[in-house]
Amino acid sequence: MQGSVRIENLGKTYQTKHRKGLFKTERREVVALDSVSFEVNPGEIFGLLGPNGAGKTTLIKILTTLLLPSVGDAWVNGQHVVRDANPVRASVGCMLMGERGLYWKLTGRENLIYFGALYHLSPASRRARADEILKLLDMGELADRAVETYSSGQKMKLAFGKALINDAPLLVLDEPTNTLDVPSASELRAVVRQLNGQGKTIIYTTHIMAEAEMLCNRVAIIDHGHLLDMGVVSALKASLGRDQVTHITGVISSSAADAVRGLEMVRRATLTAEEGATQLTVASVNGKNTLAALIETLNQSGALIQKITPQDVTLEDVFIAKTGRTLAEDTSAR
Amino acid sequence: MSTQTFPVRSLFSATLASTRMRLLNISRYPGQLITDIIVPIVFAALPILLGRATAGENAAAVFEANTGTPNFVGYMLLGTSAFSIVSYAFWHIAYWLRWEMETGTLETLYLTPTGRVWIAAGVALYSLIRSIFSALAGYFIGSFVLGVNPFQGELLLALVFILVGAIPLYGVTLLFGAVVLKVKEANALVQLMQWGVSFLMGVFFPIAIFPPMLRAVALLFPPTWMTNGVRAAVLGVGYFFGEWYLDLAVLWGFLLVAPLFGYWVFTRVENGARRNEGLGQY
Repeated sequence: MQGSVRIENLGKTYQTKHRKGLFKTERREVVALDSVSFEVNPGEIFGLLGPNGAGKTTLIKILTTLLLPSVGDAWVNGQHVVRDANPVRASVGCMLMGERGLYWKLTGRENLIYFGALYHLSPASRRARADEILKLLDMGELADRAVETYSSGQKMKLAFGKALINDAPLLVLDEPTNTLDVPSASELRAVVRQLNGQGKTIIYTTHIMAEAEMLCNRVAIIDHGHLLDMGVVSALKASLGRDQVTHITGVISSSAADAVRGLEMVRRATLTAEEGATQLTVASVNGKNTLAALIETLNQSGALIQKITPQDVTLEDVFIAKTGRTLAEDTSAR
Repeated sequence: MSTQTFPVRSLFSATLASTRMRLLNISRYPGQLITDIIVPIVFAALPILLGRATAGENAAAVFEANTGTPNFVGYMLLGTSAFSIVSYAFWHIAYWLRWEMETGTLETLYLTPTGRVWIAAGVALYSLIRSIFSALAGYFIGSFVLGVNPFQGELLLALVFILVGAIPLYGVTLLFGAVVLKVKEANALVQLMQWGVSFLMGVFFPIAIFPPMLRAVALLFPPTWMTNGVRAAVLGVGYFFGEWYLDLAVLWGFLLVAPLFGYWVFTRVENGARRNEGLGQY
């Protein structure tokens, strides 16, 4: 079916060489994806969330036929990604490498027209489609300038435009707002919503949780090659079984965190370190009423509290609960 | 693997778009095109000047006895012009892959439903246009500079040898492209390759002076036949089989085998890359 994706027990193992000195290497196997199964429904915006190295890119590369799976099957728009690779390629619009997938000496228009040819549009359709895209992205003024003269954000927009050249029912967008300034990112998200409103299915990866929350109907959280959870954003938040999350910043030891975990109303408490301070993220059954108990317990455990921020459950909290760390922490550590 | 779902006409259109894109790209580097023309002239001038300095009075006679023509300068110039076509074929195919790996566009190409053979054909056509243009310009300018009549012999037949020889040549370069895809390195490989190629195809000397085993190896290489065909058509040095159509038939034989074999090896390496680390790693 157009706009659908079905993945069954998909797995991918890489053979890697580990250097052991100047000449010696040792072969190892790295499991990038392990028995991942899910479906993306036609017409939805589906978010793929996970830190670097989680397996998102491997999964996307398999879905777009760049990689062959080690085990399992996947169907995109009803076509098998290995047996029907060309029909899959023809029916997907991809933005995978950001600004890197463009010819910098060519103009924006020339890039779009060239990729139109590779998607088998007629010469007249290529030009017409390029004009439509440039208009949609408000890039008319830049159209006939060499891409090398574009800013990083303008290159990203053109790369996004390239994904639209074949007017595919399914768009795969890998971190499309990376390097965009705030207004440009907002404009791009509006275009994504507009395209989704026209019936396109969109698979969207991002490490910006707020963005995923704003855009996605459903999300999947992947880490270390495993699908940790998946569902409608509101259902995932509700699945934490609480209506309040409290972030406590300061100097908090692991024993203090353990003491908090011991409180009856606390479902989960995760200790993370960011920019020299520690942050305790506490999920409680009724956070507003338990704030006093939290403060008292931390004080008794010798913690130094600098800031307390009670807030509603976010996708970031879901991510922390599932993986035990923040996405920003993972991304900056690489 | 999937079968093609597009009409051949549409695939040819994609091939031509691939050629056009690369011609547009190189048109933005005019200095490179000028260098392309100068290189074969400089390359020929070195042995010509060395020959003039060292060969003495009977140089032309000795050279004619070995090659079939006393036209030492024309022989070198045709050799280096043909070599520039062969060398650029290797550079262009190797650099196509390496450059697109580095810029990230190789993966983008693999995301499209146009088979790699059609894109590679577009690159080969671009390379052929660029290298024939620079080889012809180099030959005519070099002839003027070095005092040779560029209009002697059968130029059209020489062009036929170049065009027929180019197709198996690009088949061989696909084999080379497979190596670049595998080892993710182009510079050192092309440098090594082009010296080996210039030696085997007899850029500066007739392969008749090779020992029999080496001569047999040289004759397995399509550019050897192409270069000799061009020299025979223009300078009358003699075809390997005595008649132009027999030598051309050998090139046609290569034409039927080399591209298919090159493509077969290339797709195997390409699938190996898709099985493991992918095509985007560089």
